[in-house]
Amino acid sequence: MILETHDLTIPTIDEKCVIINKVSFGVKEGSIHAIIGPNGSGKSTLAYTIMGLNNYKPSSGKIYFDGIDITNMSISERANLGITLAWQEPARIDGLSIPKYISLGIKDKVNTKEIISEALNIVNLEPERYMKRNIDESLSGGERKRVELAAAIAMRPRLIILDEPDSGLDFIVIEDFLNIFGKIKELNMTILLITHREDIGMVADYGTLIWRGDSLMTDVFPKVMLRYCAKAGLKEFCKRKLFNGKQQCFDEDYIDKIFKEEQGQ
Amino acid sequence: MNNVEYPEEILESLEDYNIDIRDFLPGHGKGAKLLLDFNRISGVEQVEGVILKGREIENGIVADIIIKEGTKIEEPIHLCFGVNKETGVQEIFPRIIAEDNTDVTVQAHCSFPKANGLIHKMFGHFYIGKNCNFTYSETHYHGENSGALVAPVGYMYVGENSIFENNFTLTRGTPGKVKILIDIYAMKNSVIKSNIRAFGKCKKDSIRIRDSVFLEGENARSIIKMKAAAKDGGEVLMYGVTEGNAPRCNGHVECNEIVLGKGSICRARPFIRAIDPTSSVSHEASLGRFPQKWLDELQAKGLTEEEATQILIEAMLQEE
Repeated sequence: MILETHDLTIPTIDEKCVIINKVSFGVKEGSIHAIIGPNGSGKSTLAYTIMGLNNYKPSSGKIYFDGIDITNMSISERANLGITLAWQEPARIDGLSIPKYISLGIKDKVNTKEIISEALNIVNLEPERYMKRNIDESLSGGERKRVELAAAIAMRPRLIILDEPDSGLDFIVIEDFLNIFGKIKELNMTILLITHREDIGMVADYGTLIWRGDSLMTDVFPKVMLRYCAKAGLKEFCKRKLFNGKQQCFDEDYIDKIFKEEQGQ
Repeated sequence: MNNVEYPEEILESLEDYNIDIRDFLPGHGKGAKLLLDFNRISGVEQVEGVILKGREIENGIVADIIIKEGTKIEEPIHLCFGVNKETGVQEIFPRIIAEDNTDVTVQAHCSFPKANGLIHKMFGHFYIGKNCNFTYSETHYHGENSGALVAPVGYMYVGENSIFENNFTLTRGTPGKVKILIDIYAMKNSVIKSNIRAFGKCKKDSIRIRDSVFLEGENARSIIKMKAAAKDGGEVLMYGVTEGNAPRCNGHVECNEIVLGKGSICRARPFIRAIDPTSSVSHEASLGRFPQKWLDELQAKGLTEEEATQILIEAMLQEE
């Protein structure tokens, strides 16, 4: 496992409530691993804690990256080990150019320009158009997210955490983003994908279901998604949309069985 | 005047501006030039439509820079007021006249790389005619000893239908004591953009800048953007003034300042006044630190908090 959490508990900043409660799961190297769950279940909190953001500290439990205990490491120490995060709503900063921003995480200072161009190409932004622009308000939401992805890719990390990469994007753009995730995987980077959308999650190999702060299961993604639908009582949606056509992986009896299990609980 | 000798230290101090520094010298590059080596005029080069005349006085020069009517030139007119000495007094009295229908940029470099008790004063008048597009950019470098006392004063009159952009940058090196007064008078339908950037880096750095726009003509518009940072005991006061004194004029003042380290002080005083009921003048100011999320984003690229802060300061103080 490239990433493991052991009984990770994350409180609110004032430590009066628990957002994530004893969550344990592992992420296989080279996979796309989705963390799914409804809004407010603690998915982004989990992502920020794995990245080591200042306001997200676990009260107990451990985080391991490639076997190294990173629980008490700073955000930049984790980044230098090979973890990065592409934000749901990345900042817009006047005066900071796109190439400068992307270059910040590049360790190879000799071929920086080539690496920036390659990263921009991967996220389908034409380098000659975007090299002269800033990461300011002039970029659309989709463009800014692509630049964020390019900056993450250019770092050549071993693990990219993608926090709700689909938020605010229309369906055509989402399709393009799914292709980009495939390209990232081809570069031997592991993706931890935070999402609450089933169509985004379907690119994942594995998944972990977070429900009201608890991790309910970690398994191959279709099984996790099925459990999520059963937990939410979305049987028709599940049959009609989720496991329809090419993505059919379970027969109806199995689906009924899972739903009954959840209803019986 | 060709192949002028000019102090290497001053030319080297200009190297970070992504320009071929030799292009500043008469006989090299394109564009009109006026070079001052302390209180001696060391080089002048005119181009068609631009008259540059200077006269040496006891502690500096009096200079006329005249852009003839209808002149439109791409290459900037370069003024270099350099002092390669630790101490002394340099006083500049420039008069810049842009006649009607002109389109020019004036780039001034005030470079004092060895300053340690040096005094630089300027008392400038700008007269911008009608239908002009005029940019004046002044970039300062005061060395690394906080040893300069710099006090420029500029009065700028901007004619009807003209666009005037003023850029003042003091972000490299240590500024020392700086006190700047700029008054811009905007006539009918004129547009003023004034960008001020400064960085106080230690206890000996004290920067006070008053940038004022008086919207005197109908439908005149302006925006003042003042950006500053103070660290390690540095002090910055940004005083942005806009008065709406004419029908349908519109002005805005924006101050953003970042404070770093103990003992540093940033002050912002936007002052706005309107005496015409159809005018509109507004302001906004923010002081403090960068948002934590911005720092987190850069640290997730592997930067330390100090490195992330430095990148954000550079971005904020970037010339537009």
